Amino acid sequence: MTDRDFSRQSFLGANSEVVLAGMRVAIVGLGGGGSHVAQQLTHIGVGEIRVVDPDRIEASNLNRLVGAKDEDVVAATPKVLIAERQIKEIRPWITVVPKMNKWQEVAELLRDVHVIFGCVDGYEQRAFLEGAARRFGVAYIDIGMDVAQIGDNSFAIGGQMIMTLPNGPCMQCLGFITPERLSQEENRYGDAGINPQVVWTNGTLASLAIGCFIKLVTPWFASDPKFIWLELDGNAQVVQASRQPNYISVPESCPHHGGKDGIGDPFFSLR
Amino acid sequence: MTIIYRSTDQLMAEVRRDLVRKHPFAEERVGFISVKAAQTQDGLLLIADNYFPVADNDYLYDDTVGAMMGAEALRKALNIALLNQVGIIHVHMHLYPGRLWFSRTDLREQLKFVPDFFKVRRNMPHGAMVLSPFTAAGRMWLAPDIIERIAEFNTVGSHLKVSRSADDGSADFYV
Repeated sequence: MTDRDFSRQSFLGANSEVVLAGMRVAIVGLGGGGSHVAQQLTHIGVGEIRVVDPDRIEASNLNRLVGAKDEDVVAATPKVLIAERQIKEIRPWITVVPKMNKWQEVAELLRDVHVIFGCVDGYEQRAFLEGAARRFGVAYIDIGMDVAQIGDNSFAIGGQMIMTLPNGPCMQCLGFITPERLSQEENRYGDAGINPQVVWTNGTLASLAIGCFIKLVTPWFASDPKFIWLELDGNAQVVQASRQPNYISVPESCPHHGGKDGIGDPFFSLR
Repeated sequence: MTIIYRSTDQLMAEVRRDLVRKHPFAEERVGFISVKAAQTQDGLLLIADNYFPVADNDYLYDDTVGAMMGAEALRKALNIALLNQVGIIHVHMHLYPGRLWFSRTDLREQLKFVPDFFKVRRNMPHGAMVLSPFTAAGRMWLAPDIIERIAEFNTVGSHLKVSRSADDGSADFYV
């Protein structure tokens, strides 16, 4: 098959195409960030991609939603079906599981995946999704961006890509999710209108997430991080490791998740 | 029914470190891993919770097998299942290269003690696992008389490792 030639990424390691084809991932949120993530996971040859989003495309999404067409706006196509179509057009052999639901309604789909990509809006949703990932021992990769007004007609674009692991610090331990941010979120999100999003920042953050995923699952680049937190300064167009964890005491083991009933399904029963 | 066993790399490293230690007289060591569980779309996810080594004194001298647990070792493991909402997996290691699977002795002995865990914790799966230094293979009891192979092993850490077993449950010794 013509689409099984991965020679140009063979430096990722012996049989890396087999490793990637054996991966099951979930993308929660198929907007600007999630659609980019889906596209790149497809190109690198991930074998099963589960896409979860309750929304249909609107005209305001067309500025950034990769794979979407004008006719989708007219038809109000579900975002997960746009993602499925895009994946299948690139690599028909990939298994796609589209669910037009809130992720909490199809949480079983997230349990046996190897990695969850969180492309959701807001700190609270991130915290809930990361909590679900850790409960089932899943690596979690989060991307998000925001735009803040810093003066008259002057805006700052920023974003982050964070990977947390079940046995490492969580986003609360790292100081990314804080009670203050959660409480502020209840009152506003973004100063430049409602949830401002732009395609180039979404694409940059998605690329960082895919690079992080590749390092996690292939031997391409030996590293031993307990977490990865990259910050994007969208104005200067610079990415760097966040220094925020240096200013707080990051606990060795996470006090926010785990514990006696912190993993698995607490109501599980064989019969 | 697809059964997936998932553990952190830290816990699996701890298990392997313990199992390769020399015992005063037994040829190999054994231990128990407690697991939590969750239903998936087409099967069962087991998430490793903790590791319990068998104490040196709880082995019986028996030169016909690699390691023979005494009654006290089994009593302690049963107690873990009794007091906690967990499944119990008996674990040992094979260090010789070759297809990774249980010996005939392993298969015979497991039938004697694994079903006992259902007497103390009948709503959780229990089983047995054999490790190589690199990979794993195993089987789970879903009831005292229903046994299924573990189809997939996930080790989660700064590197994520996924390995799959053959239809007979066995696995490659190397990655």
